[in-house]
Amino acid sequence: MALIAMITGFLLILIGLYGALSNRNILRMIVAFSVANTGVNMVLVAVGYMKGRTAPILDEAVPAAEAASRIIDPVPQALVLTAIVIGVGVTALMLAYAYKLYQSKGSLDISKHTELKW
Amino acid sequence: MVSPVYLIAGALGGAFFLGMLRDQWRTACYLVTLAVLALTSWLAADWTWALASGATETVEIMTAGTPSPFAVNLRLGIAEAVLVLLINLTGLLSALYLRDTFFQQGRRAMAVLLIFVMALGGIVMTRDLFNLFVFFELVVISTGGLVLLSRDGRSLAAGFKFLIASQVVSILMLVGIIFAYHATGSLNLDSMAADAALLLKGGALAFFLIFIAVIAELKVFPANGWALDIYESAHPAFSALVSAGTGSATLFAVDKLLMIGGAPWMTIASAIGIVSFVGANLFALAQRNDRRLLGYSSVAQIGLMLLVAGQQDVLGEHYLLVAGGVLLAHAVGKAGLYWLSGLVVGRDLPAWAALRGQPLLLFAFASFIALLIGLPPFPGFYAKWELVHTLAGEGRLLLLGLLLFGALLEAGYLFRWFGYAIKREQPPEQIAPSLYKRLVIYVAVVAAWALAWLWGELSPQANLLLATPLLFALLFLPLEWLPAKLKNSLAIGGLVAWFLLSYPHYDPLQLIFGAIILVGGALVLLASFQEKGRRPGFYPSAMLMYAGLAILIVADDTFTFFAAWELLTIGSYFLILRGRESEPHALSYLVFSLGGAFLIFAGFAAASGGNPLFQLDGLQQLTGPLAGWVFLLLAIGFMTKTAAIGLHIWLPGAHAEAETDVSPMVSGILLKAGLFGLFMLLINMGRQEFYGIDLTHAMLWIGALSALLGNLMAVFQEDAKRLLAYSSIGQMGYALFGLAMMNHLGWLMALMFVINHYIYKSMLFLSVGGIAKRTGTRAMFRMGGLISLMPLSFIAVLIGIIAMSGVPPLSGFGGRWIFYNAIMTADYKLPMVLIFLSGPIAFLYLFRLIHTIFLGQLKDEHRRIREAPFWLILPQMIYVLFLMAFALVPGLALRHVDAYISNFLPDGALNWEGLTITSEFGYWSPVSIMIIIGVIFMLLFAWLLFVNRRAQKVKQFNIVYAAERPYRPETTHFAWNFFAPYRKALGFLTWPLFERFWGGIIEMLHTLADLLRRFYNGNGQVYAIQLLAFVVIVYLFSQGG
Repeated sequence: MALIAMITGFLLILIGLYGALSNRNILRMIVAFSVANTGVNMVLVAVGYMKGRTAPILDEAVPAAEAASRIIDPVPQALVLTAIVIGVGVTALMLAYAYKLYQSKGSLDISKHTELKW
Repeated sequence: MVSPVYLIAGALGGAFFLGMLRDQWRTACYLVTLAVLALTSWLAADWTWALASGATETVEIMTAGTPSPFAVNLRLGIAEAVLVLLINLTGLLSALYLRDTFFQQGRRAMAVLLIFVMALGGIVMTRDLFNLFVFFELVVISTGGLVLLSRDGRSLAAGFKFLIASQVVSILMLVGIIFAYHATGSLNLDSMAADAALLLKGGALAFFLIFIAVIAELKVFPANGWALDIYESAHPAFSALVSAGTGSATLFAVDKLLMIGGAPWMTIASAIGIVSFVGANLFALAQRNDRRLLGYSSVAQIGLMLLVAGQQDVLGEHYLLVAGGVLLAHAVGKAGLYWLSGLVVGRDLPAWAALRGQPLLLFAFASFIALLIGLPPFPGFYAKWELVHTLAGEGRLLLLGLLLFGALLEAGYLFRWFGYAIKREQPPEQIAPSLYKRLVIYVAVVAAWALAWLWGELSPQANLLLATPLLFALLFLPLEWLPAKLKNSLAIGGLVAWFLLSYPHYDPLQLIFGAIILVGGALVLLASFQEKGRRPGFYPSAMLMYAGLAILIVADDTFTFFAAWELLTIGSYFLILRGRESEPHALSYLVFSLGGAFLIFAGFAAASGGNPLFQLDGLQQLTGPLAGWVFLLLAIGFMTKTAAIGLHIWLPGAHAEAETDVSPMVSGILLKAGLFGLFMLLINMGRQEFYGIDLTHAMLWIGALSALLGNLMAVFQEDAKRLLAYSSIGQMGYALFGLAMMNHLGWLMALMFVINHYIYKSMLFLSVGGIAKRTGTRAMFRMGGLISLMPLSFIAVLIGIIAMSGVPPLSGFGGRWIFYNAIMTADYKLPMVLIFLSGPIAFLYLFRLIHTIFLGQLKDEHRRIREAPFWLILPQMIYVLFLMAFALVPGLALRHVDAYISNFLPDGALNWEGLTITSEFGYWSPVSIMIIIGVIFMLLFAWLLFVNRRAQKVKQFNIVYAAERPYRPETTHFAWNFFAPYRKALGFLTWPLFERFWGGIIEMLHTLADLLRRFYNGNGQVYAIQLLAFVVIVYLFSQGG
């Protein structure tokens, strides 16, 4: 299970990176990065997964005393949450940029925005 | 003490609070922003002080009430405190600088700035890997926002390219983090370091990914196209923050990772660092946009710091001193330059000429450049000293060489830029009048000098800012508003007073050089009395040069010697730059001099075996091939200063284009620094072999060739000052030859040349300068017949050339006499022939000075000119008297020197009984020679008067013109191309081969830079691909190595 998740995660990362680096359209690049980010998040979760354990939520089902032996590693879970939030922030910013770039030149082609060089 | 957690909480709270204010309350929002930044800066300063003074110890801040590794923890030690202080202060100053922009943009922009500064502080303080990632992402997002503060529309594209790259980086980093966590079971950096073996074995790839991601955040060359675009297009206040803040914080993150990675990763860091340093500096050569140039320079400096971080295992206890010195110097210097660029309207480099007429801003410009290059007395100088010595001690010579080469490139393009500011035409746009912006820049200048003082205190070396001569030179900066005449008196008084104070401690060699530098310098300064007004910039530069010279001759250790060497180089560069047409020549002087200086630096470092507190007399202990190498490096370094043939191309322009009173300083006095260095070298090291070649023998040849070719080139000059300049090459060749003979009389002759060359070259430069001032030209064929109008100048030139040509009765003859005695005892015949040949050649050009300038027909337009100004004539007349006196009783000075030289080369001393000097080949009686020549002269003169008693005086126009006036006077003027036949015969010897050689190298570097920088094609996608390729390449190297 974890292996499948991890392989899928890495595949998504590669697909995302390939997409971001081969599409000139800025919106497609942003979508591709989102795909890659999802892949990263899957890898994160997969690393923390332990077979046969439950979610790291302490309630009646999992008393605190037994937590250490019954829940999966909570740290990657926390990391994924943070990473998702950050990903949303960056994606939003990139989209805002895309909008502004389109306004400035009327084009979403990344290779058209190259006045700064050398 | 207030808990350091408020460094983060304060800024965060401030940003949230800004969100609650109304957007229209711009002033309130701005004040809140400033207050928050002031508060965090104060907090950081407080902690820095407490940690530095030992009042408190490094603190660990646990969050969530749980110790690490179960919760994120922060740490604040001295390094962290200094960095956080730097970041917050830069943030505060940039906020001040951004006042108008913030009032336009509103509270959101201010909040983003607060978050940015907070996140940078977080990167520095956190000890948790994932937390590090979060802070990096915060920096990315806030950078994405702050880039848009710029009014440059292109910043939009730059920001997007940055975000693309950041996405790639963050993917690498996250994957790395999770697997590192998997390998060690912890996210805490210190636990990871404890488990480093585990991590580097099982999770090597994970660690690599984290490491390379942070390195990529550093924007290292060449995977940094997006960063350069940001530097170029962002608001300068933000670029200042990126350069000073982001760069420093990220470096600290690299340092934390190196703690885990250990030695193998330090090697990788060093390799990336040095490639970055040299590569970015090379690319910067071809830049014309000021901010992009600064961006390249930032990349280079970051590379340098990465190199330092990679050398921390060998730097040991000096690591903090070196890293801190380079880092703070770069931060202050670069931030200062970016802030300065905000005042300049134009974006091309010559637009900085707008700074002219703003002495404070120019001073700031010079200070920042010196800070970046690491010139004394700034922290980078101390840091580089330790670094280079460590590298030499460890035998990392390739790194050392590349480091110095990169530093030379950097000095070249930065000083070229400074030259533009001083010399290029001022653009019509005035610089921005904003008071806030200026204030920010002045704070940076104060910080720069405070750091210079601090690093002097911290380093094991003597604090340069406590050296009296340097302080005296700096004293002239606040006195710039005084009239030049007053400052001149003060300068003369200072030089003489320092001589009187010092001379009891001088040995005879130092006494001769000291007298020439200090008393001779004061004498030349008499000529400066004729300048009116305030003459801004002259006195700090001149006194800086004299300070360097004065420190140089008493230096005991290599550090002081080298620091003095750099000081006098920089001072004289500023002096030479003052000439009207001297911009390219001053630059060429500086590049050659610094190149030579770096060779000396490398030589000292190699000699010291890594000991930064090396004494000069330690050179005596060197043996084997190392001694040969050290000798070679030092000798070439010193010969750059004496303009030995091959390294001479900077001299003619620099000396000829300098101002009237500057030419004698840089020719008569400054050239002696090189000779002093050679004396020091030979006294300490004697003869040295280099793979079977006797190096003094090689020097002998170089001296002879310099004498021959220097004189020959002087013969074909039309410009009187250039003629004198070329003749200096020849004269220095003689002195070099004398030194390289390595016998008693050779050295005595070299010292005689030191004295003589000072006197007659200073005198001739002053007379020719005075004539050029009156006639308005330096071309000799445009002069003529000035003997009756400028009789005193005539006397000075006549005496000068008699002395220089070495005919009796003046002191030049004494020099020749010693010289001929010396070569009779020497073994080498062929170079001797060359030296003999160059003697008569000197006659040819000296003759022209009298013949073409003073004799013949007076030019029509010169009919009304007067004698040169009094203050130019006065020192010349003093020189005339002195030459006479020195000719009569040379023993007064030389006897002591003779005895002193006997300490090193006992054989062949002269006998100084009475007024006659005796060698083993004969004797020289100056007084009888003077009497005999005097009698002959009087007899002939009386005879001439007698035969001419009835001659009729013919006015110049008492003839008939047969034709009209020639259209181009020089082509028909017989004094133009006077020695055409000789030129036909010997001209091939003066082909500018060396000019072409050096010019070719410079040209090649520029072409290379211009070609290679097209690699940054401006496409954000391509940049991301380059980044990935960089990652792969570094990975392959790290696996292969």
